[in-house]
Amino acid sequence: MPAVVLGTDAFLSLARATSAKHGLPHMPVALVPHPLGGIPAEQARAKADAILDEVLRGLTSDPVAPAATSAAGPMLVEAPEDLDAFQVWAMEQEWSDGLPVLPPTEARVTKILGRRAGDELVATLMPLDGRATLHAIAVNAALAGAGPEHLPVIIAAVKALANPQFNLNAIQCTTHPCTPLLIVNGPIAARLGIASGPNALGNGHRANAVIGRAVRLTLQNVGGARPGREDRATLGHPGKFTYCLAENEAASPWEPLHVERGFAREQSTVTVCGSEPPHNVNDHGSTRGETLMAALAGTAATTGSNNIYLAGDPLVILGPEHAQTIASSGWSKAELKQRFWDAARVPLGRFSADNIARFRLTHPERFESAGPETLLPWASRPEDVMVIVAGGPGKHSAIVPTFGATRSVTERIDA
Amino acid sequence: MKVWSPFSGGQTRIGRLAPRKPSLAGLTIGVLDNSKPNAGVLLHRVAELLAARTGGSVRGWSKPSAARPAEILDDIAKDAHVVLTGSAD
Repeated sequence: MPAVVLGTDAFLSLARATSAKHGLPHMPVALVPHPLGGIPAEQARAKADAILDEVLRGLTSDPVAPAATSAAGPMLVEAPEDLDAFQVWAMEQEWSDGLPVLPPTEARVTKILGRRAGDELVATLMPLDGRATLHAIAVNAALAGAGPEHLPVIIAAVKALANPQFNLNAIQCTTHPCTPLLIVNGPIAARLGIASGPNALGNGHRANAVIGRAVRLTLQNVGGARPGREDRATLGHPGKFTYCLAENEAASPWEPLHVERGFAREQSTVTVCGSEPPHNVNDHGSTRGETLMAALAGTAATTGSNNIYLAGDPLVILGPEHAQTIASSGWSKAELKQRFWDAARVPLGRFSADNIARFRLTHPERFESAGPETLLPWASRPEDVMVIVAGGPGKHSAIVPTFGATRSVTERIDA
Repeated sequence: MKVWSPFSGGQTRIGRLAPRKPSLAGLTIGVLDNSKPNAGVLLHRVAELLAARTGGSVRGWSKPSAARPAEILDDIAKDAHVVLTGSAD
């Protein structure tokens, strides 16, 4: 039926990208000045008068369709030979993330692909419904500086990201800073040198760096989420360059993440979570699980996280020393999750009245009858709290909130 | 030097937009609220003004989260002749 999309001028590129993806770049869009949210209702209503004529036109006269352009399959293009000039050029083409990229020459991409059939389709990636063929993934891996040995992890991550329960379209386009965190389990981590110990989420580990970056560039270039355009992140976070680690299974007193999820210990997997940066939990004093729990839960129970009102499966990364402290109290992983879920609560009254009103509007089933004393949990159920062990010596752990309207996905790695 | 483009290849197909009638008189104007702050306020106000000017009527739907696609599109297609909706913030 005839439709008109209303939006604010700040979000025109996202509205256009969404309609273009559906083959409707000529869908009428009527814009009001940004912002629309966060202003009194009277001011929002007043913006309607200015666009009335435009909306009426959009509903009563047929827009002209543009001519179709088509490009089928992979494209070879001419690029500057000089490596410094290539960087400038790659930024202009919107291929890069701002760090140096390697030219995806035929030789480099062929080496990464090996014997695989380049036209095999791994997934289609939102917001563009871009076709992530093995070839397209290998080109982005080449840009990122990854090698053929990294490709199986990258492929598995792309598959996981396209799983509907991850909600990739929202993760790619939201104003929230989230980006996929890749958690690798199983023997491939040691084989490839994917760090799980000291500074695992920091610098200094090539495999972590290039695998995470290859996935990010694939999401940007194949999925079509360009910063400031389809990707509407207000501030973003540095994980959007690369965000990848392995679980420190040797240091964990419990079963690792992939075994919890039904995979054999020897089966390598990658788990994707739409995540914020980690929030550190410094606890040098606790010698028992109960008191350490206060530090962990206290860090998680904030009003700024999406998980409080959008649920999802937020993540706790326990440093090995903290993991030992908890295990020495005799708790299983399930018990740890239950105690954490019980303790990490925010009273509704800590939110402003405007926000409480908004929660009641968008999630009445949860907030309609909740009062200021109601304690809001950080996830819908204890089982939804994810726990892994990672890092090296030191008395630190981390809380990683997620986008909320997303569920993590674990995919097997075929290497 | 020759390099591969990192974008996926693929057809850009252009779809057909629904044909418009020249007047909204007697038609039901649907409003699909995407739950973003003040979206409903703006959409309903535009719809009210349209209905007053053209002699149509207004009917509203909302989807609970802007982050997920609407599940009620069939209902809207059955009961409305044209629709106003919002994108993002």
